[in-house]
Amino acid sequence: MDLITLAEVSGNLSAIGYGLAAIGPGIGVGIIFGKAIEATARQPELGGRIQTLMWIGFGLVEFLALLGIVCGFLFS
Amino acid sequence: MAGLVSAQMVLASGPNFPTINDFLPPEILFQGTPFALNRIVLIRLIMTVVILLVLGITTMRAKLIPGRWQGAVEWMLGFVRNNIVYEVMGERRGKRYVPMITTMFMTIFLFNLCEVIPGANIAATATIAMPLVFAFWTFFQYWIAAAREQGLGKYLRHELIPKGVPLPVLIIVLPMQLLDVLVVRPVSLMVRLFANMLAGYFILELCLAAAQYFLVNVTDKLMMPLGGFMLIAALVMTLFESFVAALQAFIFATLSTVYINLSYPEEA
Amino acid sequence: MTLAQTGGIKLFLPQTYDIIWSFIILVVIALFFYKFMLPRFQKIFDERASKIEGGISKAKVAQEEADAAKKKFEDQLKSARVDASKIRDDARAEASHIIADARSRAETEAAQITANAQRSIESQQQQALVSLKSEVGALATSLAGKILGTRLQDDSVQSSMLDSMIDELGQDKDKAA
Repeated sequence: MDLITLAEVSGNLSAIGYGLAAIGPGIGVGIIFGKAIEATARQPELGGRIQTLMWIGFGLVEFLALLGIVCGFLFS
Repeated sequence: MAGLVSAQMVLASGPNFPTINDFLPPEILFQGTPFALNRIVLIRLIMTVVILLVLGITTMRAKLIPGRWQGAVEWMLGFVRNNIVYEVMGERRGKRYVPMITTMFMTIFLFNLCEVIPGANIAATATIAMPLVFAFWTFFQYWIAAAREQGLGKYLRHELIPKGVPLPVLIIVLPMQLLDVLVVRPVSLMVRLFANMLAGYFILELCLAAAQYFLVNVTDKLMMPLGGFMLIAALVMTLFESFVAALQAFIFATLSTVYINLSYPEEA
Repeated sequence: MTLAQTGGIKLFLPQTYDIIWSFIILVVIALFFYKFMLPRFQKIFDERASKIEGGISKAKVAQEEADAAKKKFEDQLKSARVDASKIRDDARAEASHIIADARSRAETEAAQITANAQRSIESQQQQALVSLKSEVGALATSLAGKILGTRLQDDSVQSSMLDSMIDELGQDKDKAA
């Protein structure tokens, strides 16, 4: 860091990469929970089953975000 | 953040920020043997002893008419049994998995709470090994359940070939489902818990390190409000991380139950 | 910031000792939950449930007993009422019986009294008749004497004498009656 440099950007590109990778799963998880709430509101008697399906979908979608984290470390 | 960066530029010795090396602590006991201990394992062991002592004494002293503490413990056990296991699997199937899910929920929750306990400051689940062991317990349980309840062939056919999927799509779906059953489920359980603890640790320690740096190490009075803000942020994050500790334990337990339930044949 | 300086992938590669310790800890805690804590608490839950159920069944038994007792009392009350009405009827019948008895007795008594009275009247009549007969005989005798003693010249004397005699007779008869 010398005097000529007034501002520098330090850090890793993988952070940005993870930020991008998190967009998709973020939207997906949001949709899953929103739809589950909607479905439960429409048919409260199926709440248990809907919740089970919701968790399955959540696990699957969130795996993409987790993959982003692992890849961030993997390719750095 | 701009303030942070400029402060780092002004002073040669920056704040003591957390690094991922905190998650790879050196071995401090029995180095080189398979029973080596590092800081996180030590925290884990101490927490185990605390859990066994506290819950053991609670169990020994358990009375028919519960006191306040016993009531809280019973509420937790009831929550796991009714809101996680019976909610997903139903009472008939769920009965045999109640102890397993209770063990998982309570252990993960209490280990996660180490993150906000002063002195420990890092979750006992914050190396990949602990989530790995839990995830593989679930993994074995749902394969065993599948083999016992409907046979592996029927289970795989049911899982890999979803009903009503046309053949061309099936070519994509089949490997995906196989990957899901074999890899994604345990790995996602494992990585989710670990990554949450990692992120929680970083945010919390970042706030605390910055607060300490601006309030104590820096003599410039102008930085005091920033330090105060960081302290408040650390407080809020502590509360948030306690919530996350419970939430992650809940998600882990619920997903384990869901995966095991998928091994059972479809309920008529 | 400093994340990239060490190989971050190390985070996801568990060390052997870490796995071993995690496994040991998990086994210990799982054994604790499986063998000790949950069975104990289950026992307490069951005991509590059975106690609550027992309380409910006890209350049910008590309720049944109370119902039975109430039924018994009601039955008793009913039978008592029946008894009372029976007794009342009996009493009424007896009373009417007694009244009838008394009446019949009074009637017989009255009849007896009447008969007695009749009889005494008859006997008195008989007596009077007997005495009258004797008196009439005596009078007739005295009258005959008197007739024989006086001279029967004119009819006036004769009739006055007859009148006086009849008067005397009437007086005698009144006296006798």
